[in-house]
Amino acid sequence: MFLSNHLKLLDHLKSADPARGTPLCALRLGVPVIDAALGGGLLFGALHELSPRAPMHFGAAAGFALALASLRQGSKQTLWIQQEFAATEAGALYGPGLDLIGLASERILILRVPRAEDALWAMEETLKCRAAVTVIAELRNGGPWTDLTATRRLALAARENGGLGFLLRHRSSAAPSPAATRWEIAAVSGARDRFGGLGPATFALTLVKNRRGPCARWLVLWNHHERVFSPALSLGVAAAAGDGSNPARPRRRAG
Amino acid sequence: MWLRRLATDRILRGRAAAPADLPLAIVGEIKNAHRLTALNDAAAALGLKVGTALADARAMYPGLAVEAADPAADRLLLGAIADWCDRFTPLVGLDPPDGIILDVTGCAHLFGGESDLCRDLMRRLAIQGFRSRVAVADTVGCASAVARYGTPAAVPSGGVREILLPLPLAALRIASDLVALLAEAGLRKIADVIALPRAPLAARFGAEFVRRLDQAFGREDEPITPRLPVPAYMAERRFADPIALEADVLGIIEHLGGELSRLLQARGEGARRLQVALFRADGKVHRIEVGTGEPVRDAARVRRLFAERLAAVGDACDPGFGFDVIRLSALATERLDPVQTGLARDSGEAELSHLVDRLSARFGERRVQRLIPQNTHIPELAVAAVPAQAKSARFESYAVEQDSLGPVRPIRLFEWPEAIEAIAAVPDGPPVRFRWRRVLHEVTAAEGPERIAMEWWRDDKGNALTRDYFRVESREGVRVWLYREGLYGREETQPRWFLHGLFA
Repeated sequence: MFLSNHLKLLDHLKSADPARGTPLCALRLGVPVIDAALGGGLLFGALHELSPRAPMHFGAAAGFALALASLRQGSKQTLWIQQEFAATEAGALYGPGLDLIGLASERILILRVPRAEDALWAMEETLKCRAAVTVIAELRNGGPWTDLTATRRLALAARENGGLGFLLRHRSSAAPSPAATRWEIAAVSGARDRFGGLGPATFALTLVKNRRGPCARWLVLWNHHERVFSPALSLGVAAAAGDGSNPARPRRRAG
Repeated sequence: MWLRRLATDRILRGRAAAPADLPLAIVGEIKNAHRLTALNDAAAALGLKVGTALADARAMYPGLAVEAADPAADRLLLGAIADWCDRFTPLVGLDPPDGIILDVTGCAHLFGGESDLCRDLMRRLAIQGFRSRVAVADTVGCASAVARYGTPAAVPSGGVREILLPLPLAALRIASDLVALLAEAGLRKIADVIALPRAPLAARFGAEFVRRLDQAFGREDEPITPRLPVPAYMAERRFADPIALEADVLGIIEHLGGELSRLLQARGEGARRLQVALFRADGKVHRIEVGTGEPVRDAARVRRLFAERLAAVGDACDPGFGFDVIRLSALATERLDPVQTGLARDSGEAELSHLVDRLSARFGERRVQRLIPQNTHIPELAVAAVPAQAKSARFESYAVEQDSLGPVRPIRLFEWPEAIEAIAAVPDGPPVRFRWRRVLHEVTAAEGPERIAMEWWRDDKGNALTRDYFRVESREGVRVWLYREGLYGREETQPRWFLHGLFA
């Protein structure tokens, strides 16, 4: 065997956690309940699908994808593939916002492709490349080019090289897909901070398809300073624990 | 090289069925009269001359075919022929209206010698339908003179003087009225002028005349202005049997890449911009360019980049009957020092850089982008998308204040803010309800306003309205970035609301 193969194996063994019996190479979300359901975390070497529960929740879905990308340690780069028309429909990635959500601008590369099949081709090329790059492909709508055969090639490419790929769809589709997990994301009214302003971003995650465990629903919030997820209490509980002021009334921020 | 019948050849090439001895004249308007500006061989044999009035020519020979002059088309054709001559040497310059100058220093041996080169060039041009005369000499002036006024041949090195002496003075590329002036003074051949003292010549006939004389004899340098940039490094291959398959072309490119990499390695450089010129057997030239982010020397990488580029533009590069010359040149190079590779694994950076190069080759440089912050407070200009291959300066980090638990800038920004209908409780306050894309949202929490005034010093149309930005959360939890355009009362009576971005 080549030396590089030996070293890859060593890497795998190092990242496995013998106490939990987790599999090799998974991206841990940091919330124990979710990681247990996923069997250790989001598996490397696989595709994962994300979609918003309704078109208005697309911002939350994109935010969740960026948060996952920023969870990877070190200075791993992320490639975001976007079709040109998608920028008009749902906006283009905004540099200052990316920094503030936890993904530094130096770590992201953006590829604008003219057609959806080009997006899948680029994703396959990136997954086959040996540079460890997280790929997120934004697909506007399902069609013949995003069906099972096309995405199966992506899953194969990911499995061979251990890359992490996300398919972010604008509309959720129930078509069969080779993705290891499938999520539906919705935004949820989050907690307020002490002055009545908006708190950290809160997501309602629904795991619709999971190869390694059960499907369930969770509420998490994303702390972008420390780049960790933490479980969120539902809004009813949070409001009662506040200072008694009415959270529905808009407050002006001081200064 | 002198294309002696360029204008008529351009017309006659297109006419396959024209009889060979059809007299053809090109007519242009000179001083409000229709005169002949160019003739073909058959018309010249009839005795017509350039400058004859059209009416006289028609009276003499009613069977004369006539076409209108089109100098722009002639220029384009001359340019196309010059590009075709690129296969002999990259230093090709134009000598308008109907001449081309090639610098064949050092490459004549590739074609079997200078006289063979002349004959080959004339033969290839004749196959394509152009009558030409080609001469090779030490200086541009001498070559041009011999091509037009002498017998076309390869002038041996050092034989400039003997060849030039018997030629008429018009061969020195001077204006015709100056030739007439010299004729009045009794000077008709170059031999008459060569022995005269220079100062009186310059005084009487102008410094230009003396300069042309010097250029012809090599006392003064005359550089050629090449039409295309001359590459620093070049490797090429000629085929006796033209090749047309893409796989073969890529294999040749890899082989040429290996040769080029040896040249580059000797100088310690790597290529940043590479061009492949594919010369078709019938004269057309296809040029494909590829750029890289980091200097590259590896032949396999070069082949992959061109494979992507050919996949993207393949239809435009029709091989026709095949390519008989393929040339790989490095247009821009940079210093590349050898790097010590680790024992264990390849560096991820090099792989990433190669991935970026391949994606740029496939989709175009401007589609693979990095986000670089800009020094402006206007939100839509605060970040610029720069091609990932460009070497831009290190950027400073953003200075956006952040004192709340949630981020203050959206993760997605619309290029054109979308107009929404919003109702605010107070004119200056945040909205309580807004309708976006036909869905009504009720606002449960809002932060703001963040007042961003437009750059008044840049605006000259008077429509730089101040914006009050609000981060709002709706009942469903959707967070958006809205602004009201125009200060109520001071700038606008009916301020409009826009949605600019989405938060997570």
